[in-house]
Amino acid sequence: MDSLALILARFQFGMTAFFHFLYPPLTIGLGVLLVITEGIYVYSKNQDYLRITRFFAKLFAINFVVGVATGIVLEFQFGTNWSQYASFVGAIFGAPLAIEGLFAFFMESIFIGVMLLGWNRLSAKAHWVSTIFVAFASTLSGVWILVANSWMQSPRGYKIGSNGIPKMTNFWHVVFNPYFPSEFLHVIAGACEYSAFFMAGIASWFLIKNSKDMVMRKALKVAVIAGVIIACLQIVLGDISAREVVKYQPTKLAMMEAQWHSQRYAPETLFALPNNKTESNGPQIGIPGMLSMLAYMNPAAKVMGFNESIKYINHKYGLKLTPAMFPPVWIVFWSFHIMMYLGFYFAAVMIIALFLLLKNKLYDSRKMLKVFWFSTFLPLIALELGWFTTEIGRQPFTVYGLLTTVKSVSPNVSALEVGLSLFMFVMIYITLAAFAIFLFKKELNERLKGKDELAGEVSNMAGAKAKEVLS
Amino acid sequence: MNLNILWFILIAVIILGWSVMDGFDYGVGGLLRFISKNDDERRYVMNAIGPVWEGNQVWLILGGGAIFAAFPRVYASVFSGFYLAFMLVVWLIIFRAVSFEFRSRVESKSWRNFWDTDITVTGLGISLLLGVAIANILMGVPLNKDHIDYQSLFSLLNIFGLAGGLLSLSMFLMHGSTYLIMKTEGEIQKRARVFASRFAYAYIIFTILFLLLSLVFAQRLANNSFGIIGDIVPVIMIIGGIGVIVSAKSSSDIKPFAYSVLGIVGAVVSLAVGIFPDIVPSSINPEYSLNIYNSASNHLTLFVMLIATIIGLPLVLIYAFYAYKKFGLKVKMDESSY
Ligand code: HDD
Ligand code: HEM
Ligand code: HEM
Repeated sequence: MDSLALILARFQFGMTAFFHFLYPPLTIGLGVLLVITEGIYVYSKNQDYLRITRFFAKLFAINFVVGVATGIVLEFQFGTNWSQYASFVGAIFGAPLAIEGLFAFFMESIFIGVMLLGWNRLSAKAHWVSTIFVAFASTLSGVWILVANSWMQSPRGYKIGSNGIPKMTNFWHVVFNPYFPSEFLHVIAGACEYSAFFMAGIASWFLIKNSKDMVMRKALKVAVIAGVIIACLQIVLGDISAREVVKYQPTKLAMMEAQWHSQRYAPETLFALPNNKTESNGPQIGIPGMLSMLAYMNPAAKVMGFNESIKYINHKYGLKLTPAMFPPVWIVFWSFHIMMYLGFYFAAVMIIALFLLLKNKLYDSRKMLKVFWFSTFLPLIALELGWFTTEIGRQPFTVYGLLTTVKSVSPNVSALEVGLSLFMFVMIYITLAAFAIFLFKKELNERLKGKDELAGEVSNMAGAKAKEVLS
Repeated sequence: MNLNILWFILIAVIILGWSVMDGFDYGVGGLLRFISKNDDERRYVMNAIGPVWEGNQVWLILGGGAIFAAFPRVYASVFSGFYLAFMLVVWLIIFRAVSFEFRSRVESKSWRNFWDTDITVTGLGISLLLGVAIANILMGVPLNKDHIDYQSLFSLLNIFGLAGGLLSLSMFLMHGSTYLIMKTEGEIQKRARVFASRFAYAYIIFTILFLLLSLVFAQRLANNSFGIIGDIVPVIMIIGGIGVIVSAKSSSDIKPFAYSVLGIVGAVVSLAVGIFPDIVPSSINPEYSLNIYNSASNHLTLFVMLIATIIGLPLVLIYAFYAYKKFGLKVKMDESSY
């Protein structure tokens, strides 16, 4: 196996996962928000909430199909590009993937058809129930894929068999591996946070054009109330995730915090230019003792540095890793820190917006609306950087402590083949993203031109009553 | 019966579910540009699969996951060994998946033409390539003693592979036509009846051709582990085909589809019978083949997955039944259709 093939395969996996994860968070989070807005409509009969639901459902549909299209390749890529990995862990890792298909994707994909094409065929309540199914199933698919991923971060419930391959010994230990709860909560909360900003950003765009848009005022209100809760919660959940890293992946922690040397009173570094060659940070700013405090609740606690953590891992798993096998520390450090700073920024934005909402000034504050419009897609950056931290920080392992990336790749796929497929994927994904943006914009413009989401169909949706209200 | 045999059967059932359910989506897609003449007709045909194709596609994903979990070495060897061919299928699936949602959102003629062609080409392409891949597996792939196979995209394009491709192409087109007979009315239904019997003829011819060629290229079909019973199974395929030809001319809307399903059942059972107990035969040395024992996961995984299937599969059938029922037998267009 030549190493160019490995580099390309890694790049292809990261790239396809990156593109895939541009879409699922909105499927999950917007699904939850649609359950809320449609639920308000079902119980209050307020047509504006139906308008919000129907408008955002259009954007949801576009996002959803691109999510499906980009997800399929990930499912098969473990076999095509990581065949040694697949034969090694299939007995454990394959199970959640299959269960995801059986329990989550079927429910999600069948009810999405009912939800998007069934506005006129179902009663308002039955339609709401199918929206609930879609949101529930998307979250459930997150559960199972994150079981698979978190198992790679902290493998449990297995025993190495006589052929050197792990065997499953306890299914529930596989599922509830130590990383799973924190990873699951943090990712789902991130998805909801992004969707709240997405809804707020788009509502703000309409309000900037026309501040008397009553429908979008309501959308903004829902987004801000949901957003402020989730944005504050996310900081706590991020902190919980970090504690799991402390316990199970000392090498990742050292890279996230650019800790080169073990020390007591370790500082929480806020700014640094980590350099693997000199093993130092250059100019840096930090809060003394803060990292020891965050990690162990004790400012005097000792935090392992990069080299010592590698020694520790080598000893624990009987390996011979050298620092050169690890990724550049600056990538992990900055991915983690920018995510964290964004997390604080989101919470601040939402708190200020809530404050304005309570004072009844939100819809007329053009500054705030512009901040929201600017921030529409920012949580996506935090989501992706979070994955960079988790996945690049896990290197050089694919399954932490058990299997290295070098030993995971398909031996029979050449660099030329991966190069070709990589090139195609880049082209296809850029095209898809461009189509999705084009269609998003088109829906926004059509609404701005006055196309009413309910025109022509109200009579069927809510019965004759709604028709009377409108006429 | 042990868990390995049971999982072999369950995977065959999933492949059957996928060929029956997603098969008509590919067929209807492949027919789109030929069976419908203007935009209204196209939308009508598309909406025959509109609300359900998404769920049908999950059979494919489930198949991938189930093979990964139950027979990880098969998953690893086949997908890496057929690398570029498989990537080609994935690209077709990607472009097909977005086309339904994208097409009707813009009213421009060239935009719609583009996606109509896309739906047709991807439907035909997927139908063809699947048969090519399956025929090549039946023939045996060059697995070495580590169960790794080194081969190129072009080695897949041999006579037997092409015959398999034509067989699956005609089968899915027949299946799509019979599905349209069931779901549509009027002019489109009339055309679908004509298409159904034409593709059924093609299907019968390619089935016979494939079986004859298998005597040279894949003797395991004739020498299968079930003896005379195994030799008779392919007859079901031909019965299905004849049933489609006969019933397409009758006034029944549902019978042609039912016969087409029978034809597909025949094809999947023949495949399973022909390959058992191997899953991927090696063309280098039969001892290097991947079979249901040397490629399988350990007992606990197979058991857990079995429990999951027993709980999960009936649920899937319930939702699917609900969705099909809500949308009725015949397509009805409304403003939320594609
Ligand atoms: C936490 C969320 C999450 C993460 C980390 C992933 N996915 Fe995903 N995936 C979803 C959440 C999701 C979803 C929300 O369920 C999607 C997005 C849009 C959609 O339709 O379903 C989806 C779609 C989707 C599909 C199409 C399903 C369908 O047809 O309904 C497949 C095959 C995968 N994914 C597979 C993967 C694999 C193999 C991943 C890992 C490498 C992965 N996903 C990461
Ligand atoms: C969807 C969000 C995800 C993103 C953005 C993401 C990103 C990445 C990146 C950037 C890499 C390359 C790391 C490197 O080579 O340095 C990688 C590798 C990998 N990831 Fe993820 N990942 C995601 C989810 C997952 C999930 C859910 C799984 C498993 C279920 C997974 C399994 C893997 C595997 C097997 C590799 C191996 C290749 C390697 O280590 O280089 N990833 N991912
Ligand atoms: C102050 C705020 C935050 C802190 C302290 C924090 C902390 C962390 C930590 C320590 C990890 C790595 C866990 C691992 O290696 O497995 C992580 C991963 C991640 N973060 Fe954050 N995070 C914060 C904010 C955010 C925000 C705002 C988002 C998105 C909107 C986000 C999305 C993610 C994602 C998707 C991952 C990868 C999955 C995972 O491992 O959980 N994070 N975060």
